[in-house]
Amino acid sequence: MKVTRKVRFAIAATAAAGLVAGLVGPAQAAPKTTVSIVQSNALTGLNPSVTNMNLTFNVDVAYLSGIGFNYYNNKATLIDNTVLGTYKVVSQKPFKVQYKVNPGRVWSDGTPINGVDLLLSHITSTAQYSVIAGLGDPGDSDVTPVFDSLGYGGIYDEHIVGLPQLSADKMSVTYEFDAAIPDWRLVAPGVAPVHTLVLMAEGKTKLQSVAANNAARDKFLKYFNTYNKKALGAIGKLWSTAYTINKVDSSTNPLLLVGNGPFMVKTAVPNGAVTMVRNPRYNSGPKVKSLKTVVFKVIGDGTAAAQALKNGEVDVYAGQPTADAVALLKSMAPAVKVIGGDQAIYEHIDLRVGPAYGTQGSYNGPFAGMSQQAVDLRTAFLLAYPREEIMEKIIKPINSSAQLMNSLMVFPSEPSYKEIISKSGVSKFTAGTQAERTAKALALVKKYYPNAAAGSGSVKVKLLFGQPSNTRRVAQAALAKAELAKAGFDLDTTPTSGWSSFLSDSKFDAAFFAWVKSAAFQSGNVGTYETQANDYGYSNKTIDAIYKELGAKPLSAAEVTARFLKVDQELIKDAVTLPIFQHPAANGVSAKLQGVNPSPFSPNLVWNVWDWYFTDK
Amino acid sequence: MFAYIARRLGVLFVILFGSSYILYNLAAISGDPLEALRTSREPNAAQQIITLTRELNLDVPPPLRYFIWLRGILGIFVGSPDFGEARTGQQVSEMIALAIPTTLRLVAGATVIAIVLGISIGIITALRQYSRFDYAMTFVAFLLFSLPIFWVAVLLKEFLAIQFNNFLSNPTISPPWLIGLSLFSGIFWAAILSGDRKRVLVVFSGVTIANAALLQVLSVTQWFADPGFGPIILFLLSIGVAFLVTHLSTGINNQAALRSSIAMAVLTLVLYYPNQWLFEVDAKKVVFPLMVLTLFVVAATVPLLFSRIDRGPIIRTSILSAFIMGLLTVVDKLMQTWRPYMETDAVYYRPVPTFGQTNALLEPGNFWMTFLDLLVHLFLPTTALLLISFAGYVRFSRGTLLEVLNQDYIRTARAKGLTERTVIMRHAFRNTMIPLTTIMVVDFAGIIGGAIITERIFGWFGMGTLFNQAINSLDLNLLMGVFFITAFLAVTANLVADLLYSALDPRIRAVSRSK
Repeated sequence: MKVTRKVRFAIAATAAAGLVAGLVGPAQAAPKTTVSIVQSNALTGLNPSVTNMNLTFNVDVAYLSGIGFNYYNNKATLIDNTVLGTYKVVSQKPFKVQYKVNPGRVWSDGTPINGVDLLLSHITSTAQYSVIAGLGDPGDSDVTPVFDSLGYGGIYDEHIVGLPQLSADKMSVTYEFDAAIPDWRLVAPGVAPVHTLVLMAEGKTKLQSVAANNAARDKFLKYFNTYNKKALGAIGKLWSTAYTINKVDSSTNPLLLVGNGPFMVKTAVPNGAVTMVRNPRYNSGPKVKSLKTVVFKVIGDGTAAAQALKNGEVDVYAGQPTADAVALLKSMAPAVKVIGGDQAIYEHIDLRVGPAYGTQGSYNGPFAGMSQQAVDLRTAFLLAYPREEIMEKIIKPINSSAQLMNSLMVFPSEPSYKEIISKSGVSKFTAGTQAERTAKALALVKKYYPNAAAGSGSVKVKLLFGQPSNTRRVAQAALAKAELAKAGFDLDTTPTSGWSSFLSDSKFDAAFFAWVKSAAFQSGNVGTYETQANDYGYSNKTIDAIYKELGAKPLSAAEVTARFLKVDQELIKDAVTLPIFQHPAANGVSAKLQGVNPSPFSPNLVWNVWDWYFTDK
Repeated sequence: MFAYIARRLGVLFVILFGSSYILYNLAAISGDPLEALRTSREPNAAQQIITLTRELNLDVPPPLRYFIWLRGILGIFVGSPDFGEARTGQQVSEMIALAIPTTLRLVAGATVIAIVLGISIGIITALRQYSRFDYAMTFVAFLLFSLPIFWVAVLLKEFLAIQFNNFLSNPTISPPWLIGLSLFSGIFWAAILSGDRKRVLVVFSGVTIANAALLQVLSVTQWFADPGFGPIILFLLSIGVAFLVTHLSTGINNQAALRSSIAMAVLTLVLYYPNQWLFEVDAKKVVFPLMVLTLFVVAATVPLLFSRIDRGPIIRTSILSAFIMGLLTVVDKLMQTWRPYMETDAVYYRPVPTFGQTNALLEPGNFWMTFLDLLVHLFLPTTALLLISFAGYVRFSRGTLLEVLNQDYIRTARAKGLTERTVIMRHAFRNTMIPLTTIMVVDFAGIIGGAIITERIFGWFGMGTLFNQAINSLDLNLLMGVFFITAFLAVTANLVADLLYSALDPRIRAVSRSK
């Protein structure tokens, strides 16, 4: 009995001591509300729509400080931001789309958002407007237009008709296009606080009253409708240059920092950290869960970033996708978790059929033309190309869940992938082991080169693939060279400085590199194989027709899949190209941080910052 | 002389423009700035290619494009050089102006410490050639010589930042560490303090035991979580400083010097609390210089009370002691700031950072916090650079001094009966400095060129980072800007080194070569 009592007393005393210690101990228990994100280069400006400003860091900051009608999620699906407003097709003929801002949405300076704020986007993405207003022709090779924008020449520019029409209550804007463009959702106009530009053009350096802001915005509407060269010229100059700052502090013009996003820039140290705090008036998008501050810190070196992650100085690091870097991040478990994934970038091998479209000269290499011999040799090359080995040795160490890509049209994660690869005939290049495929390839080569044997080097192929400094590509080329030699090919794998400027050079018989997708267009990757866009002299009437169809009007998912399948079948039948892998991503994330779920499209990591939160474990 | 300098300047320009022409063309053909756009599936990629071609003048072949760049640079002669715009839209001149101070801050401290430490240790090893100390330092120097900076940096970050921060969450030293650290310092000091076997043993055991005791006390009191001297320990340390400085400066037998140094220690104690108050006043720009001034005035006048003759060395001793004691007081203040600094949200109990120059989240306004923040950010890069560069100076000064000591004029100096101190300091040391000076000048140019790897590893945005960025993004204007500044400084530094050489050494006259 005595013992029990002592034990009880001891437990009670310990508990009490623990309680006291807990009360007086350091206040580490509360979950953090500040997240630190690594950027590998410094901030160069707050307006990423300006030429030269479209860098990851600038895009991330702009994404957090301004939110539009839609954004991509981690599944590459476009999500409508119905908090800000809605948009719909209001007429099929002529094709008209209306964007409507919900009432009550405000900029961070308190000014209500309305349809006028959508109009700047028209100026910065329509070459025609720039020409009419006398602001310079974006197609000119000598003179930079006043609005030095990246947006000219896109789908919107190609199809927009006339000026966007503002409704009487100024809350909605209607756009007319010359055709039913399938990707109309992707050309949603950005919202911009145009009143701040007008105020800055008038020399203001302080936030103004809502009434003054509204008056300034009405002025903008007038300038816009009348193509006012002088006023728009001043605004354009500001738009192109005033946001090119890498330092933000109390002396920065607050008009530059007005936005409708969840966070706004508070300070930026030149070449250093950028601190963003909550926008107190934010009501234009998803609710922010718990974060109060977002800090971007600049670390160029991968090892340094990983160690900073381990030291708790940063919480998220979009790592370099190399095997070493991933191994380093993994070694830091459990403090750090590695979130892998795929980027919307895919590596593929292309074979030259003829000279690039629109170039002079001819191509007489082994793969030239559509004769049986050329098709057989191309088939042999693709059969012996060690795609699985490349996958296992180079990509799997980075992303263990990566899959070999077998469709040029859709990524393995997309719903239609399984259906397409089961019918596209790609099994020709996947059946059996690599040794069996290489043997088949050698047999095909022997038909035309009777002396061909492993190592004979009968078919000489010059390969284009990248900079000498790109170790991943050099390793891929080495694997390909070894395997192809077994099928009688002699692959010239000298890397090329400035390789991308030789894409249309007939000197090269084959090339492997990556296409970068930036958005989910209905036409997908079909455009790559269209006659006029093709650097490899490939021309296929069926594919050209499908490309036209896909660009003509919106189609249902099943209709799109059927067309993608047809394109894949044609490409495989003609043996002109094969995909290899999706570029892997590897993000190191502090174990305490939840909700990080990178998107394949820009802004990859921060697209859902509002969902991030820390646990206190 | 004039003709010589003019000719050298002429050569300088030929080198600068010749090398920049070669570099420009090599860099231009090393890659394709349009790569990202050519592999992009963006519908307006074609328009973007037009834009970029226009911005970068890609339609002009590189050998001619160089002259577009050169036209901007030649503005130097009319006072308005134009280094052009980087691909990120910023002015190259502004980027460089921002980068140079960063680089200087990063390397200046480390270089100065490395030079002072390296040369003094080099001289001592030369004077005690083949002693235990010499062997120990030779070993250390070669060890450091062979370490690559990126590896040292990674290790330093792991042990002095990550592990140390972990340790701070419960700052008690475990027995194995306590024994290990004590043994290590015992061996270290025993190796450095040369002497016969008995003395070595005494030093070894003494240091080991003293260290173990000290670490045990620090561990039990959790000193590392809330460090500081307090007035009593500060006073004891100051007394120690008084004895040490007097011993080195005038000899311990100089009673007046010792007394005035001890008086300084007493003043340090008496003024402890007033100093704490002064440290916190708002008008720091007025108060701090006044404090420094007062320190020197007091240190210079107090000795007058203790001696009427031969005051020079005594005043010197007193000032030196007072200065070191003042530093200790500042260190104490910084240590008191340590705990509040750790407890800020910005630092969150992990005070030693692995990268960057400042903590962006730290609220500005508190002078001591900001100062401490600066120091902790300098800690790792300075240590890494110091470890790497210090070895070179040790070996070089040792070798040079040994060579000088074998010269005839040293034998002559000894033969005519000069004291050993005079022989070494006046005759040998000064001649040792001649080749060292030229090395330092050339090193300086190298410093501005940037410590590419160090900057990258520690996330400092200096000249090295700019250079790296320029190469990776094929940013010719930026690359050429950095190259031009670096090359200019390198060539100029060589000229200055040559001129200094002839100024320091009368045997070499630049004029004679210009004939």
